[in-house]
Amino acid sequence: MSGEMANEIKLISGRSHPDLSDKIAKRLGVEVARTISLNYSNQETSFTVGESVRDEDVFIMQSTATGDVNEGLMELLIMISACRTASARRITAVIPNFPYARQDKKDKSRAPISARLVANMLQTAGANHIVTVDLHASQIQGFFSVPVDNLYAEPSFLRYINENFSPEDCVIVSPDAGGAKRATSIADHLNTAFALIHKERPRPNVVGRMVLVGNVEDKIAILVDDMADTCGTLVKAAAVLKENGAKSVLALVTHGILSGNAIETLNGSVLSALVVTNTVPLGDKVERCPKLRVIDISPTIAEAIRRTHNGESVSYLFTHAPV
Amino acid sequence: MRGTLIFAGSSCPALTGKICENLGMAPADAELTQFSNGETSVRILTSVREKDVFVVQSGSPKINDTIMELLIMISACKGGSANKITAVLPYFPYSRQSKKKSHRGAITARMLANLLGVAGVKHVVTVDLHASQMQGFFKCPVDNLHAEPLIARWIRHNVPNWKEAVVVSKNAGGTKRVTSLADALKLNFGIVTTDKKRGGGSNNMTASMIMNHLDGIEHQPLLDSLSSDQVRSNPSGLENGTAPTENGQARAASRTIADAQGSPRRANGPSSRTSSNPRPHPARRPVTPSQSSVIDEMDEDAEHEGLEYNDQRAHEVTHGRLYQGHIVPDDFPSPATSAADTSLPEEDPMTMSHASSFFTSQPHALGGSGDAASSDEEDEILKNPKIEHMITLVGDVKGRTVFIVDDMIDKPGSWIAAAETVVKRGFAKKVYCIATHAVFGADCLEQLEACDCIHAIVVTNSYPIREEQARNAKKLVVLDLSFLLAEAIRRNHYGESMSPLFQHIVD
Repeated sequence: MSGEMANEIKLISGRSHPDLSDKIAKRLGVEVARTISLNYSNQETSFTVGESVRDEDVFIMQSTATGDVNEGLMELLIMISACRTASARRITAVIPNFPYARQDKKDKSRAPISARLVANMLQTAGANHIVTVDLHASQIQGFFSVPVDNLYAEPSFLRYINENFSPEDCVIVSPDAGGAKRATSIADHLNTAFALIHKERPRPNVVGRMVLVGNVEDKIAILVDDMADTCGTLVKAAAVLKENGAKSVLALVTHGILSGNAIETLNGSVLSALVVTNTVPLGDKVERCPKLRVIDISPTIAEAIRRTHNGESVSYLFTHAPV
Repeated sequence: MRGTLIFAGSSCPALTGKICENLGMAPADAELTQFSNGETSVRILTSVREKDVFVVQSGSPKINDTIMELLIMISACKGGSANKITAVLPYFPYSRQSKKKSHRGAITARMLANLLGVAGVKHVVTVDLHASQMQGFFKCPVDNLHAEPLIARWIRHNVPNWKEAVVVSKNAGGTKRVTSLADALKLNFGIVTTDKKRGGGSNNMTASMIMNHLDGIEHQPLLDSLSSDQVRSNPSGLENGTAPTENGQARAASRTIADAQGSPRRANGPSSRTSSNPRPHPARRPVTPSQSSVIDEMDEDAEHEGLEYNDQRAHEVTHGRLYQGHIVPDDFPSPATSAADTSLPEEDPMTMSHASSFFTSQPHALGGSGDAASSDEEDEILKNPKIEHMITLVGDVKGRTVFIVDDMIDKPGSWIAAAETVVKRGFAKKVYCIATHAVFGADCLEQLEACDCIHAIVVTNSYPIREEQARNAKKLVVLDLSFLLAEAIRRNHYGESMSPLFQHIVD
C-alpha cells in the first residue's frame, strides 16, 4: 500500500488562474499543493514548493492572464523547473490556453515561430507531458517531443446548444476559412446547416472586408471559433450575419482572451451572447459585459488529469463532456 | 564591422546605441511590440542570413517580458539562418536565483541558461555575474566581463585621497569581490556583518562572541577556573534582570552555534590582514551555557579595558544596534520581546522576499557556503520592527574614505545600515556606495539620496536607470560600460583574446 501512496496526484497552481485550479482540485478530490510564489522587488519571479513532490505525479496548472502572458509563462517554467529539481516523478503542465499559439508558422521573412520556442522551453524546464485545450493549430503538438493531450471544448459547446436551442433552428457559422473545420464538426454533430464568412485580414487584430457564404435567413446564427481576442472579427461577422437576415447571433468561443476594448466592442455589438469557457481568467469581465456567458471547462480538465494519472484512455473526452 | 548585426532589446536602446557608436555601425532594424493580449511580437526587419548576430538585452521592471523578447529575438534570428547568435546581457536576469535556497526552490538562473541555449544562443557575454559559477550552467562559452577595472579607474581619477581609503563589504558573501578591488587599488578592507537578534537582552552578545573567538585561547583557562556558582551570584553583567540565567544562557548558547559557523571566518579574515599581530582563531569547541554567560561578562570587561589601554583590536571590531534598518544609540529602548510574536513563520509572506524563511529557520540549512549570498534577502527582515539586529564592523575606518562595494544595488536597507555603521560607529569620513548593477527597486535611489551618511553612489549603465530618476539624483555617478561591451563584441567577432579586458591599466 505504501508503494502506491508514493505516487499520487499533486496539483500545483500558478497565480494566473487559481479559480480554475480550485475547481479542478475539488473535482479530483485533492488539495492544491501549498506553494509560495512571489515577485522580488525587481519583478523577478520566485517560486517554492511548500511540500514534498518527490516521486509524485505532479500536475502544474497555469493559464496565462490577458496582458500578463510572459509573467504567467515564466512562472510556469520556474514551477516546472522547481519540481524537476525536487525529484518529481512526472511533471505534466496543464495549460488551458497555450501561449503564443498564433505565432506557429514562419509566415513572413524572419518571423519567429514562438509557439515552437515555447514548446522547447517547456521541455527544457522539465515538463514530461502537456495537457491543453483547443490548440490554435493541432500541428503545435508536433513541436513537442513529449506527449500532448489537446482536449476539446466542443462536447461542452454541443451540450450548451442542445440545452438552450433546438438544433434545427440554428446555423453554425465559421468567422473565417481557417475555422471551417471546427464549425463543420459541430454542425455535423448537431445535424444542422453550416455557413462561412470569408474575411480579409491586412494586419493582426485588424479586420478587412467580409463576405458570407451560405444561408442564415431566419435562423439563430452561432459563430464558432477557438479564441476571442479583441472581438473585432466576431462583431463584424455578427453584423454581416444580421444584414443577411439572421434572427439572432451568438458566438461560442473556447478562449475568451478579450484584450483591449473587447468588452466595449461586445457591449455595442449585435451579438446576443458570447459564450466562452473559463480557460482564461476573466476577472471582472463577466460583470462588465452582460452578454458574456461562461461554461466551466474544469470537469474535462480534471477528468483528463485523473485519466492521465491512472493510465486510462483520454479519447472519451474528445467526444463527451463529463457532467 | 563586416557581417555583424547588433540588435537592441527594448530594455536598453541607449546602451546599444553607445556600443554601436563605439564600433562605428548602426543598430540593426527590428520591430518590437506587444499584441493586445500581452504576447510579445518580434519582427526582424533586415536579413540575418549568415551574419554574426549580437542581441543586447538588459533587465527592466518588466523582467519576464524582457526575457521573452530576448528569447523570441534569438529564435527569430536562428530561424532566419543567422551564422552565430551571441546574447549580450550586461545584467543577467535571475542571477540571484543561482542555487537551491530552500528545499524545492528552483534554480532559475540555470533554467534561463538552458532556455537561452534552446532558443539558439551560441555565445553569451555578460558583466559581473552574481556568482561566477553560473558560467557552468551554460553549454556554450560565457564571457563574464568585469566592471572592476572601470570602477578602479574612476576611483583613482575622482576620489581625493583614495590611497587612504578602505573598501568595505556590506555582507560576508561579497567579501571576495571587495578583496579583489582592494587588491587592485592596494587598499585595506573591512566587513560589515549583520546578525539577527531579537529585542532585549545583552547588547554585546555578538561582539563578545567574536572577541571570544579571537581571544578564546587566552580566556579559556580563566573560564575553566571559574565555577558556575560564582557567576550566578554576580548578576551585574547580565542586563536582563528578570530571568538572567535562563534567558541569557539560552541566547548565548544559540549565538555560539551561529558564530561557530560564520563569525570566526568573518572576524579572522580581515584581522589577519590589517593587524600587525594576527591572532589565530580557535577551533570549534563546545561551550556550556554557563560558560558562555561568563564569556559574555568577561569580554565586556575586556573590551572596556581594551579601549582604555588603546588595544588595537578595539578599533578593528566595532558594533552597533540596528533597529528598523537604522543605527540606534546604545541606550535606545529595546523592542518588545515576546517569544510568541517574534516567530518568523507568522510574518506576512508578501513582506519577505526570502521564501526559504518559511520552511527553514536556518538561513543556510542546506549548507550554503555564502558564496553568493545576497544581502538583499535580509533587507526586508532588517525592516521588521520586532527584530533588532547587531551590526558589526570589522576593520579600521576612522577618518578615512570608505567604499562600500557589492555587485548590485536593489534595495537600500543594507546599504544605508552599512553606511550608518561606518560613519556613526566607525567614524569614517566619506562613504561611496559602489556597485555594478543599478537595479534600484522601488524608491531605493531616493532613499539612498536621502541618507546623510552616503556621499556618492557609483554604478554602471548595465541596467537601465530611469531618466527622471537619474536627473534628480545628485549623488549618482553612472560609469559607461559601452566601451567594454563594444570591445568584447569586436574581439569576439574577430576571434581575439578577451584577457586584456580583465586587466587593470594604471593611467
